[in-house]
Amino acid sequence: MMIRVKNRKVIARLSRRNLQHNHTRNAVAVFAIALTTLLFTALFTIAQSFIHTTQQETFRQVGGSFHGGFKDLTLEEKKILETDPLIRQSGGRLMLGMACGNNFRKVHAELCYMDQTCRKSSFCEPQHGNAPKEGSKEIACDTRILRCLDIKPEIGAPVTLSYEIGGMEKETITESFRLSGWWEYDAANNASMAILPRSYIETVLEEHKPDFTDAANHTGLWTLDVFLDNSLHIEDTMIQILESHGYQGENPNAENYIGIGVNWGYAGAQMAARNDPETILGIIVLAILIILTGYLIINNIFQISVSGDIRFYGLLKTIGTTKKQIRRMIRRQALLLCAIGIPIGLLLGYLCGILLAPWIISSINDNIKTVTHASHLWIFALAAAFSLATVLLSCAKPGRIAAKVSPIEAVRYTETSSLKGQRKRSRKKTNAFWMALNNLGRSKKKTFLVVASLALSVVLLQLTYTFATGFDMDKYLEKWVVSDFILGDAAYFQSNFQGSKQAVPKRDVLAMWEGGEITEQGMIYGTKTGVLEYVTEDLYREHFSGTDAGMLEEMLESETRNEDGKVPITADIYGMEEYPLNQLEVFDGNLTDLYQPGKNVIAAVYLDDDYGNPLDFSQWAKTGDTVKIHHVYEWEFSDAETGEIISEEKAKTYHKEINVKEKDYQDISYEVVACVLVKNAMSYRSFGNHQFILNADVYQQNCRNSDVMAYLFNTTEDDIAAMQSYLENYTTTVNPALDFESKQTYVNSFLQYRNMYLMVGECLSFVIGLIGVLNFFNAILTSIYARRREFAMLQSIGMTGRQLKQMLICEGFLYGIFTIAVSAILSVLAIPVMSNTISSMFWFFTYHFTALPLLLVVPIFAALGFLLPLVSYRNAVKQTIVERLRMEE
Amino acid sequence: MNILETKNLIKVYGSGETAVHALRGINLSVQLGEFVAVVGTSGSGKSTLLHMLGGLDRPTAGEVIVDCKPIFSLEDEALTIFRRRKIGFVFQNYNLVPVMNVYENIVLPIQLDGNEPDEDYINQIVNTLGLESKLNTLPNQLSGGQQQRVAIARALAAKPAIILADEPTGNLDSRTSQDVMGLLKITSQRFGQTIVMITHNEEIAQLAERIIRMEDGCIMGGGQ
Repeated sequence: MMIRVKNRKVIARLSRRNLQHNHTRNAVAVFAIALTTLLFTALFTIAQSFIHTTQQETFRQVGGSFHGGFKDLTLEEKKILETDPLIRQSGGRLMLGMACGNNFRKVHAELCYMDQTCRKSSFCEPQHGNAPKEGSKEIACDTRILRCLDIKPEIGAPVTLSYEIGGMEKETITESFRLSGWWEYDAANNASMAILPRSYIETVLEEHKPDFTDAANHTGLWTLDVFLDNSLHIEDTMIQILESHGYQGENPNAENYIGIGVNWGYAGAQMAARNDPETILGIIVLAILIILTGYLIINNIFQISVSGDIRFYGLLKTIGTTKKQIRRMIRRQALLLCAIGIPIGLLLGYLCGILLAPWIISSINDNIKTVTHASHLWIFALAAAFSLATVLLSCAKPGRIAAKVSPIEAVRYTETSSLKGQRKRSRKKTNAFWMALNNLGRSKKKTFLVVASLALSVVLLQLTYTFATGFDMDKYLEKWVVSDFILGDAAYFQSNFQGSKQAVPKRDVLAMWEGGEITEQGMIYGTKTGVLEYVTEDLYREHFSGTDAGMLEEMLESETRNEDGKVPITADIYGMEEYPLNQLEVFDGNLTDLYQPGKNVIAAVYLDDDYGNPLDFSQWAKTGDTVKIHHVYEWEFSDAETGEIISEEKAKTYHKEINVKEKDYQDISYEVVACVLVKNAMSYRSFGNHQFILNADVYQQNCRNSDVMAYLFNTTEDDIAAMQSYLENYTTTVNPALDFESKQTYVNSFLQYRNMYLMVGECLSFVIGLIGVLNFFNAILTSIYARRREFAMLQSIGMTGRQLKQMLICEGFLYGIFTIAVSAILSVLAIPVMSNTISSMFWFFTYHFTALPLLLVVPIFAALGFLLPLVSYRNAVKQTIVERLRMEE
Repeated sequence: MNILETKNLIKVYGSGETAVHALRGINLSVQLGEFVAVVGTSGSGKSTLLHMLGGLDRPTAGEVIVDCKPIFSLEDEALTIFRRRKIGFVFQNYNLVPVMNVYENIVLPIQLDGNEPDEDYINQIVNTLGLESKLNTLPNQLSGGQQQRVAIARALAAKPAIILADEPTGNLDSRTSQDVMGLLKITSQRFGQTIVMITHNEEIAQLAERIIRMEDGCIMGGGQ
């Protein structure tokens, strides 16, 4: 049985006294602990800010922070669902219609009523003024809508607005409101919002009685945004809610269907955790790196101080101190040092996190205006826990050494006691260099630790540099950029090209010549109507794979087959002039025939992955195949009941059911001469149909269509800037329906992306470099300090101060040389391997070997290797030789 | 011929009330080839005297003349160089360089001076001290007596004017002490080496040719 003795106090006092003895060591240890804590705090703060901010960012894109929403509800359905116990909080939104008119061609603006919860979670709470009062004709909206209407934001300003209600049959209403409040438009969200009083909307609905069954414009329908108890399994919980009330959310064509939407801001965060092991791995690797560096230095400090105090511990043992007590003493000292170091580190880390996070995040995305500081308690708790763990880990072994020492041996203990055996009779001459080499060999482990921690920072720097310089702008631009400029309808750039309504007028194309010299140019024609391809039934089924099986067979049955028994599905066809044709990447076949206007030849478009590998599922046609296209030029519309023929114009707003029949059409066979990849910038920018390319003339002739989807052109180096501002002006004042993209757009996004990584890497190598230097300093200082007596002895047998300094500088240089050598070897071995991983993460990464960072580090190490020993030596030899010789304790 | 001479050597540590008068005017001379022992109790000033003789510490007043050279007129660096050429030290705790083997330790002072060791002479010393089989051994592998023999060899290697031995047997048992003393004596005779040794052990001191007694920083007898 253990006898409990009240000895804690005396152990505590001993640790404290022993601690007070080692001022230098304490300062270095506290500094190291603080630095370790700082690193952890900064790492966690940045990581948390990053997650939080990206989540907020996603919420803004989605337009809300709620977990999910039930869509297109009637008032009764809304009332039933909102009382469900699984819903923690809910907010309702009643849709009226969409703002229309010329001012809103490029802006998607919705008019609706929102209750307070909904306003808050949808970021639509007025920042100035108030939400519209019930019973009034007030309106609150974002600043973009006000800009579109050219209204100065002032409470009470008159707002006249036209909007469309209804689905198939649209009705336009123009109304004058009074501005009751507004908020800043958030560029992250595509949709603008205008909030009206519920009473107003109900009056309008009463008067106009739009068709509720057609939800196309959602007029008169409610959306119920909900917060659940937690953000896990949002979709399952929502389906469960529907089912408990007799609804279902899976089959839109079946009874009692209610659509649900899950906020992918939450899903995204979870998906990221599940599907993005690299990020998680990165954070873990960083944490390990910090633990390792922290361990290296703290362990070193304790190891040295324990060896220094070994006689003291021996003495304690002779007077009866147990192993456990000695271990506890050392742990106590470590904890006392932590008590000072960790709070300092937390404070510094918090400050760094606050300063750095916005900087880092804003460099990722200009649009993020507000960065939330994630100063959560758990960050501090975690950082403190991690550094405490690091410290305890670091002093465990020194503690064991001190505890294990036998009282007799302690008196004779020197750090060199591990030296055993013989050494061959060596050199005739001894010099400073050889002595230094021998000295480093004394404690190989310690030398290894110092070299390892220094090499780590060098390798990291090397890696960061390789990484950043490997971000290949040409590769990036090659993928994204086709020409200096692309002109198109605004809708085209929003991946919403719908055909002739969004064609670029020829006069606008011609107007480009006024902006500067055009060196190369070409048009891409495109249409979204009247082009079908004949495919096998299997491909047909694949194309409509989302459709209910019974329905699919019914559709298949009703299709008109061609002479081969194949069925038509919609296809996307490009008509390309010479310049766009030049920009295609041909991976099979030959494009030559496509340049000639007279031939019925076609190129099959394949989609590709990030690395430019064609994806087989995206296209069926191979070189040599024949593609049969069904061109439809004219349709006939008739009233389904009476059979009366109606005009196309009239058909668009016809109230009753209509039959559509192809009136003028033609089947043309084309031979596939090439399989190609089309860069996204010049494609339809939307996917789902098989895509083919025709010669521009053949296209115009066979499709009987000459709608310009995009106009690509290059200008001279000198005219780029002028053209850029010409286009900016042109697309805002001359023809605001148009928009453009320039090479600069992509260059900017690339630089932004690269700078982010560069900066993070620089911060990291700086901090780790700092630790390395500290470790270096610590190693030199302590080794010199520990050898004060030995130096006195060497001086007594005639080694001059000059010779001693030479020896010490050699030791410093040797550390530097070892570090450089180890770093070089590691760089050569590890960086190409890591680069492979990186290039699999970033398709625009190209590995180049570079030794530049390594070379840059050489003078720094030379300077440190020279200065640190000199400074430490000067400190160590303050005492006279005799005093030092007597240091025997 | 006086190889070593001190003139009114005074050393005071500290000042005012706390001043410690370690040496109170020592006048001493040692002949070439003499083996002198300085004895005294602890605190008598014998160690301080030895440090002064070796130029490890500077006196408050007075002069030490080694081989006709007043050593305290030299600058620190010059004094160190003078020391490695003219003075050999043997310490109580041997003070060998742990990372160097026996041979390297022995020739270290010569090499520090940038010279090649005189191999014949080194062999002679090594044979005399019985270290032939230990030349490649590291100091930690040696017994105390062996380590002290290495220290004596190192002190002899540079052919110094005098060897100063500070309690050379302080850490050794009595049999080993006798051995080491015997070796010191043989060395003195065979190589004509002047040796000044301090000790508090009367029995050990008896082996010297002359005994100087110290008390409270003064020479009480044998100083000539």
